[in-house]
Amino acid sequence: MSIAVRNVTKAFGAFTALDRVDLDVPQGGLVALLGPSGSGKTTLLRIIAGLEVADSGSVQFDGEDISNRSAGERRVGFVFQHYALFRHMTVFENVAFGLRVRSRRTRPSPGQIRARVAELLNLIQLQNQAGRYPTQLSGGQRQRVALARALAVEPSVLLLDEPFGALDAKVRLELRRWLRQLHDEVGVTSVFVTHDQDEALEVADQVAVMNRGRIEQVGTPDEVYNRPANSFVYNFLGNVNLFHGRVDDGTAYIHQEATGHLVFVRPHELEIARQPRGANYFRATTKHINAAGPLVKVEAVTEWGARVHVEMSRERFRDLALRDGEEVFITPQDLAVFANDQRAG
Amino acid sequence: MVVIGESALVRRLLIGVSVLFLGAFLMAPLAVVFAVAFGQGVAAYFASFRDPDTLAAVRLTLLAAAIAVPSNLTFGVAAAWAIGKFEFWGKSFLISLIDLPFSVSPVVAGLTYVLLFGAQGVLGPWLTSHNLHVIFAVPGIVLATIFVTFPFIARELLPLMAAQGNDEEEAAITLGASGWQTFLKVTLPNVKWALLYGVILCNARAMGEFGAVSVVSGHIRGLTDTMPLQIEVLYNDYQFVPAFAVASLLALLALVTLVVKSAVEWRAGKLRSQLA
Repeated sequence: MSIAVRNVTKAFGAFTALDRVDLDVPQGGLVALLGPSGSGKTTLLRIIAGLEVADSGSVQFDGEDISNRSAGERRVGFVFQHYALFRHMTVFENVAFGLRVRSRRTRPSPGQIRARVAELLNLIQLQNQAGRYPTQLSGGQRQRVALARALAVEPSVLLLDEPFGALDAKVRLELRRWLRQLHDEVGVTSVFVTHDQDEALEVADQVAVMNRGRIEQVGTPDEVYNRPANSFVYNFLGNVNLFHGRVDDGTAYIHQEATGHLVFVRPHELEIARQPRGANYFRATTKHINAAGPLVKVEAVTEWGARVHVEMSRERFRDLALRDGEEVFITPQDLAVFANDQRAG
Repeated sequence: MVVIGESALVRRLLIGVSVLFLGAFLMAPLAVVFAVAFGQGVAAYFASFRDPDTLAAVRLTLLAAAIAVPSNLTFGVAAAWAIGKFEFWGKSFLISLIDLPFSVSPVVAGLTYVLLFGAQGVLGPWLTSHNLHVIFAVPGIVLATIFVTFPFIARELLPLMAAQGNDEEEAAITLGASGWQTFLKVTLPNVKWALLYGVILCNARAMGEFGAVSVVSGHIRGLTDTMPLQIEVLYNDYQFVPAFAVASLLALLALVTLVVKSAVEWRAGKLRSQLA
């Protein structure tokens, strides 16, 4: 089922959580709402679910306006950040809940319920834990149970609020790959909220970058990362070095008298050399080198006293044989220039 | 056994003081109640309950509790749900109101009912003209009992419901459960032990209340005397065995309450450790 959000506004007292937001999620899509805390992404998700009511605007499922339908009538599967499993019920009972509360006419028989729950527990690889209580499970297992519970009612859309937010780094990584896989298998239209750009870029087909109650850009991970619409999107998706600069005849000058332009360079687009190359370089002194991990991260102080972060491959680092406190020459390989729109938070 | 690093002497001293204190102020009076009640034999003890006034008092106490406890159960769950799960204007004021019966002397509470519903009271003439009797009658006793016991259940549930938040209810709603199903299958099971505990405390207090009920009762023997009031009446008549026999019933109630309370706490604790 496709989702369309039209001109939705929501305020909590004086705080505007959503400001005339539009969003389209195609049938079978997996869309990430990405943004810092307070950007309105969770509010948008809750409005789609019917857990929150918009002040104005509408939500449509398959072109039909469902703004006035209650959460129960919308047939959404909702997965909460802190799982929200029913603590007094076993894993089995949790997953069966949505089927058990149906009216007698539409309720499956006990045998059908058992079969459906078994099938879902199989899907989340917890078939041996059916009799356990939520507190006896790990965080990752709990979140998988929450997912199975949401899928049990065969929802028209699946909505996930920071689904991996409460998990530790390694489990997060496993679970988000698993979610992607699950989505490919089940194919239900899904929207998930995250503040983690890696998660959004890795899992989603489409990323909607949100900031201060508005959607800044919607696009594929490749589009939002490589062709950011504005400085906020560029800044939010990955690490950046920010320079103030000006643009003359299509040439960007960094650290010149600022004329309202912001120049961004990602750490891996800065190249360190021992000798100046060409005319595009500045001097810097290395301050701190972190060689743990696939990339070597170097922090350096520029000739005008700003800090820059540079990433390079291990081979390059070995060839350079860099140490702390050395004078180097840094050349930007690629940069992004935006008019200073005050949005690069 | 948790070692807290105090010497054996200090430990024994502390335990000894506690046991002595409890013995002197709790166990000894309890023993006296039963000793006097059975002082003239078992036959005399049971004969005390053949007095129609005493039987009427027992019935009235049961009636008052049977009305007050369900009323406060309904009120307590509703108030705790509203306060624990929703944000609204005047919330802290409502919490203070719930605590009011704890802070007001029961006698004052009884007096306010007299001033409100009594013959010289605000609503007195209207009630008299409609032939309704509140003060010096059963309705007044029930009202006074409800007043003094209404914080018990709400107070037990409030912190728990507030701590549990709304997530599980929201999950139930998105899964298609109705409001009533959500309440019965999610909200209520999550608070059942606290609820049971609150009901037990509320019941014990409802049956044992003296001050507020004493003011509104008017002490009409066989009609408006509850068990605590009947005990006072019997005692003032120098009928010690019957007085202490009735008192022994209230003491038994207290013991049963303690046992049930311990069982509930044990059950809740076991559930927690089982889950942890």
